[in-house]
Amino acid sequence: MIRVDKVTKEYRTDHTAVRALRGVSLEIRAGEFMAIAGPSGSGKTTLLNLIGCLDVPSTGEIYIAGEAVSGKSRIELATLRRQKLGFVFQTFNLIPVLSAYENVSFALSLLGVDGRELRERTLRALKEVGLAGLEKRKPGELSGGQQQRVAIARALVKEPQILLADEPTANLDSDTGREILDLMAALNQTHGTTFVFSTHDPMVMELAHRLVMLHDGAIR
Amino acid sequence: MKFLLSLAWKNLSRYRRRTTITAVALAVGVAVFIWMDGWLLGAELESRRNIIWYEAGAAKVLNQEYLEQIQNLPLKQVVEDAAGVERALASLGLEATRRAVFSGELFLGEGSLFVKAVALDPATDGRVFRLQETVRQGRFLQTGEPETLLGEWLARDLGAAVGDWVTVRARSRFGAFQTLDLQIVGILNCPNPVINQGTIFLPLDLADQALELEGAVSEIALAFPEWQEPEARLGQIRRALAGFPELAVADWQELARDFLAIAEGKRAGTGMLLLLIFIIAAVGISNTMLMAVYERVREIGMMRALGMRDLSIRLAFLLEAGGIGLIGSALGLVLGAALNWYMVRWGLDLSAFIGDMQVGYRVHSVFRSAWHPQALVGAVVFGVLASMLISFIPSSRALRKRITDCLRHV
Ligand SMILES: Nc1ncnc2c1ncn2[C@@H]1O[C@H](COP(=O)(O)OP(=O)(O)OP(=O)(O)O)[C@@H](O)[C@H]1O
Ligand SMILES: [Mg+2]
Repeated sequence: MIRVDKVTKEYRTDHTAVRALRGVSLEIRAGEFMAIAGPSGSGKTTLLNLIGCLDVPSTGEIYIAGEAVSGKSRIELATLRRQKLGFVFQTFNLIPVLSAYENVSFALSLLGVDGRELRERTLRALKEVGLAGLEKRKPGELSGGQQQRVAIARALVKEPQILLADEPTANLDSDTGREILDLMAALNQTHGTTFVFSTHDPMVMELAHRLVMLHDGAIR
Repeated sequence: MKFLLSLAWKNLSRYRRRTTITAVALAVGVAVFIWMDGWLLGAELESRRNIIWYEAGAAKVLNQEYLEQIQNLPLKQVVEDAAGVERALASLGLEATRRAVFSGELFLGEGSLFVKAVALDPATDGRVFRLQETVRQGRFLQTGEPETLLGEWLARDLGAAVGDWVTVRARSRFGAFQTLDLQIVGILNCPNPVINQGTIFLPLDLADQALELEGAVSEIALAFPEWQEPEARLGQIRRALAGFPELAVADWQELARDFLAIAEGKRAGTGMLLLLIFIIAAVGISNTMLMAVYERVREIGMMRALGMRDLSIRLAFLLEAGGIGLIGSALGLVLGAALNWYMVRWGLDLSAFIGDMQVGYRVHSVFRSAWHPQALVGAVVFGVLASMLISFIPSSRALRKRITDCLRHV
């Protein structure tokens, strides 16, 4: 479903160049529940960003559902992200002025869904992540774990083929982190959505069905 | 779109204090604009009216050479055959009156003063001018009597009162010095400061004798039934006066060039001031939008990651800025309209500041504004559109960033 082919990524600043990825090749199959692990600075975020089409590789190629990503325009990439990908961020990144319901429905409305369908799917997604009854709360009125649940609902409501999460539990205490991970695993089971997440937490690695270790920009 | 509108509104109400301050800055700009514009328009309309009613009529027939050096008021260049001119204009259905204008030295007690003297025909002057209505003390002139009328400011400067005798010394048409002894029969309080300040009036027949005019006059002043459309009228008059090649017709605008020039200059000056006010308001809005964008860079990154189009993100900020623009402009409209209403209804008495100073405008102490609907609408539309336009700068900046950089932004 996703193929990463000899990808390198180099960050250039004015006088230095950092090689964040040094030739990564990877195949992710539909329905996987996969963790990318590695020490800080090993390139986890960089790899996830490339898979999520938020950035382009320096060399190499990424295929999503058989389609090469390079050479796509800014608008085509936005469409691809909108339709096929879901994101969960370490810092939740909810819109603070919107309620939980609005944060989720916003993502779905980007796909042109509206009216009754928008309402039903939004409420269903919130219920699935265990937030039934909290729809009207703003992010500031929710705990960290609840906020991350809203973020998962926001990613999930579009029913994406793949859900990417960069350290989704790093801002949560270990119990809450575990709950979030259990939720993700359950959703992986029920929906068959592919999950790829990064972590450097051994507990999280244990729960992953497949583990890819990154070290210094290369898979070990 | 509905979502973006509600998002913009929620963000505006979230940063209520910032929104309020920015909107108030814009409102002050809009209100001052409306206020100044109404004031300027009011002063212009009133000046125009006071020039036509008390100074220039709608137009004047005068000797071409006289017109060329009108500031010297030369009695040598005159309208010789005043009756003939009036006959030629009779078919046009205009009101007309004759005046002889000259400069002279006015003596009262120990003092003397140079003044502009206007000899008018008491019987017909009211057909063109409204001087009669401005007599505050005493009465208007009578034909054949050695009488004079003074403006209030002039009378005050001279310490003159009704009943006093003054002497006027002037050169006759042929250059000989003549003196006229005149009794003050009335004091004028004319809304036109030029009249109030340095002009005296006397009966035409008296001046005719003393200054050897023999029926000649300086000007024949005309009133148009409808002075707003003078172009065609002037053409008609010129054709009717084809038999008098030495004569010219000048409308009030030509006769009051000094006023028009000053009014234009003031308008330009005020334009600069208004520009300044709007720049300040614009800086306020752009600063606010810059802050709004800057503190939401991560939010923008998230929206872009979720596949929101650049255009929609731009639109979100455009609506937000437009919201501030709308609130500010509406507030400014209310404020400016209230100020303008006061200025129309009560006006502003500037006599304490202006006094005898020449300000160009023919407005006597109390400045009143006028309503200018285009300016009201224009200010609001401009306020909203400019605000929206300004929002493009910061949102473009955020959109130029890479998504990953937006997301890493703290
Ligand atoms: N925008 C950037 N510009 C320059 N260098 C960068 C940039 N982003 C990442 N890097 C560098 O690339 C390397 C990989 O960074 P990356 O963020 O992918 O690591 P990570 O595994 O996610 O680390 P962490 O666990 O701390 O999140 C690091 O050396 C980092 O300093
Ligand atoms: Mg990282």
